[in-house]
Amino acid sequence: MDAKLVNPFIEAFVAVMPMLGFQPPTKKNMVVKNKYAMSRGVVVMVGFTKQLRGNVVYNMEDETARFIASTMMMGMPVPEFDAMAQSAISELSNMLSANAATNLTQMGLDVDISTPNLTIGEGFSVKISESQYLVIDMDLQGHSVEIAISVDRNF
Amino acid sequence: MIVDDSKVSRTMLANNLAKTNFEVVAMAKDAAEARSLYEEHSPDLVTMDMNLPDADGIECSRRICAIDPGAKIVMISAMKDAGLIEQGKSAGISAFLQKPVSTNDLIDTLMLLCQEKISRIAMLRESYAKPFAAALKQGILDLIGIQVDTKVELYEKKYLEVNGIAIIIGLTGTPNGRAIVYMTGDTMKTFAEKMLNEKLEDEEEAHEAAEEAANIFIGHSVSSINGIITNKEMRITPPGTFFGSGVKMTTQKLVTFKITAMTDFGDICINVGFAEGD
Repeated sequence: MDAKLVNPFIEAFVAVMPMLGFQPPTKKNMVVKNKYAMSRGVVVMVGFTKQLRGNVVYNMEDETARFIASTMMMGMPVPEFDAMAQSAISELSNMLSANAATNLTQMGLDVDISTPNLTIGEGFSVKISESQYLVIDMDLQGHSVEIAISVDRNF
Repeated sequence: MIVDDSKVSRTMLANNLAKTNFEVVAMAKDAAEARSLYEEHSPDLVTMDMNLPDADGIECSRRICAIDPGAKIVMISAMKDAGLIEQGKSAGISAFLQKPVSTNDLIDTLMLLCQEKISRIAMLRESYAKPFAAALKQGILDLIGIQVDTKVELYEKKYLEVNGIAIIIGLTGTPNGRAIVYMTGDTMKTFAEKMLNEKLEDEEEAHEAAEEAANIFIGHSVSSINGIITNKEMRITPPGTFFGSGVKMTTQKLVTFKITAMTDFGDICINVGFAEGD
């Protein structure tokens, strides 16, 4: 996978989160992983097509998802990851992916994104790539959001 | 969902609706219960009484519309005047009926409010969900040589719960959405063994076979849709595979259909969802 394709996703996260009332997030680290990821509790997958094909997965703990949903809803308490909070996280994933898609367009790549697929639970693993993929751990006010990216140019 | 503080009124309405194709999913006796039951059931329609013990029907409707701006609410009250209608409309109420309501008036009003949704669902079922069922049937025949029956149902639960394997393939274009091919671990293993014509020891091989099959099912579905509806090209993303138990996938903001292929070693299913709106 081309490392240059990762930046649009990181830039999207860094640009979008402050618009929603968060302090600017920072990149903690980036690692290469093989095939499988374990769910941390809340996993959102968004697919890419056209000149870029692949998936991006936002993986976080239930507590982080509730913190994000609460901040997005002006500090409203989110004691449970309910329908409204799920909707907030799906919407966020959509915004992040659409923003990344815009960044990719500026690199000359025409892309389209699927609807986000939100999955809840801890007892499952996710395979997003036949081989290796990149995982970026983003720090968001002390919470960790893992962005797993497996995308390739489609010739 | 019926909102009415009087048990007699709730029962009468429920009895009227029992004669129709509408199903009562919840009954609330006050505004607080209405809000929480609305969140729990996301009903297609709400009938609203004006007099509730903790708030009036207009305030209750306003609270429901705050959760779901697309809520369809019919006010059924003893009084019906211009002032009430004006206030009600600004609170998000779609229609007004006067008590006692005849079954025919009630059905006509409810049907009218549902029409938009019903016709979109019918369109999605015919033009989009059915090609998935046909591709699933043909795919199973091509891959393992078995004739299966398939059925297509509207899926109205909030979650799809999977124990085993779920392969998600995103759909882009118009309409966009996602398709999930899923089955239990045992069904997957038998299916993979029939597909490869050998005993499998390694679970990963079974995953790969299931992924390959999912790609074929969904790829053929989309090709067939694109072949008929030529101005809105749909594309598919590479698969993402989830496996484990109690995997809960939300169906929020999607119109979803469950397509089941029944085999003697278990069901092979596709849950295909299309984004709401156009």
